[in-house]
Amino acid sequence: MSALFDVLTEHLDEFGGGLWVTLRLVMGAFVIAIVVGTVVAALRIAPSVWLRRLGGIYVESFRNIPLLVLLTMAYAGLRRAGVPIGQWTAGIGALGLYTAAYVAEVLRSGVFAVSKGQIEASLSLGFSYAQTLRRIVLPQAFRTVIPPLGSITIAMIKNSAIIGVSLIALNDILKSARIVQAETFKTEEAFLWAAVGYLLITVTATIAFRFLERRYVISR
Amino acid sequence: MSAGGGRQVAFVPGATYGGPIEDRTTGAPLVELRGVHKAFGDNVVLRDIDLSIATGEAIVIAGPSGSGKSTMLRCINGLEEVNSGSVLFEGAPVDPGSKAIRLMRADIGMVFQQFNLFPHKSVLDNIVLAPVKVKGIEPDVARARARELLETVGIPEKADASPADLSGGQQQRVAIARALAMDPKLMLFVEPTSALDPEMIREVLDVMRELARGGMTMAVVTHEMGFAREVCDRIVFIDEGVIVEQGPPDEFFKAAKSPRAREFVDKIIHH
Repeated sequence: MSALFDVLTEHLDEFGGGLWVTLRLVMGAFVIAIVVGTVVAALRIAPSVWLRRLGGIYVESFRNIPLLVLLTMAYAGLRRAGVPIGQWTAGIGALGLYTAAYVAEVLRSGVFAVSKGQIEASLSLGFSYAQTLRRIVLPQAFRTVIPPLGSITIAMIKNSAIIGVSLIALNDILKSARIVQAETFKTEEAFLWAAVGYLLITVTATIAFRFLERRYVISR
Repeated sequence: MSAGGGRQVAFVPGATYGGPIEDRTTGAPLVELRGVHKAFGDNVVLRDIDLSIATGEAIVIAGPSGSGKSTMLRCINGLEEVNSGSVLFEGAPVDPGSKAIRLMRADIGMVFQQFNLFPHKSVLDNIVLAPVKVKGIEPDVARARARELLETVGIPEKADASPADLSGGQQQRVAIARALAMDPKLMLFVEPTSALDPEMIREVLDVMRELARGGMTMAVVTHEMGFAREVCDRIVFIDEGVIVEQGPPDEFFKAAKSPRAREFVDKIIHH
């Protein structure tokens, strides 16, 4: 038992650093996922057929390519094409854009849950279609889909582990555990602490989403 | 309650029912429908509708379910696009695709059967939102006005409540206050009491009655014939998408000209 804690205390720098790297990765990716996901959802419900198609193409592209392939394309692919993209930009960008496709789909379902009467009430007050979307439809859609957004966020946090083992090779939780394992050969302990690291973040996210749900979910 | 109890406010002398009624300020009716035709696919809902509403007038649109009453009101603020004919508001065409439509809608309040309050906003924010964001009124001014309106509709204590915590009657009164906050020139009521429990219908009708007495121009689709008889200046009877007849409520209830209207009145009075 003490061996288990020794691995942690002796390699606190690696594990702590890994936790911090993963945290920054998922926070950055989360912001991108929400912002891009909202824009794509708006495209997918736009009055124009072409905008809707554009949104559809986005979702199908980013949802149907494995994350590992996306990460490789975003980093090695772009660099070989002459774009000097950094590890962080590639990692956060690819994970964020990938997750945005799921956010867009969930939000779109949330938009359908907003009654037509809400839109008509807003239009009848003199709001434009864009204002109606921004002030009436999307805020309600977000509140409706808080629980599935929580699931997507947790999946995203776990998916972030692929960044460390991909060509991007940032020292996130999983990568740090692999380094510790390579140095000490204490495989079970290293990966157990990696699991605890991910749990810390996912459980925090779960609690945060529970709070949002209690606070904002609308009773109709 | 008494016969001839229609309100005297803003009653236009010498007006002839059926034809365009002169508005004292501009000489033109506030709303005019000319030869309006509306169909949803093969289902023709409005046929060749001609209707004028004068400033200050309160009309009730009556008729059997599915006769096109609600659709007609929805054409007035462009929530529905007409297939042919024209809808004019203050003499200008109502075109849902035009830029001008937003300004017109800002001047036309609409109250819906299902209230349609914004569930993610408090009662006060529901009322304040459009005046601030559409008309650019100062938030403090808009909030003060919203509280006044809540007072008028009898629920000042509910300003900070969530719509979900209100009864149906209270929600509909907030919806009326929300529409009034835009200082509309016209109020459209689409079956405002049809989704309410009987004991709440009165509180909503009371607010509407006061509004009519205050001279608000209103068009009301309702099955509340007591309200029609007591409050409105004119009843417009629609059946199968056609205006069958229209006239002052006393005439309509006592001696409707068309057999269909008589049948309708008989059913309502003896139900």
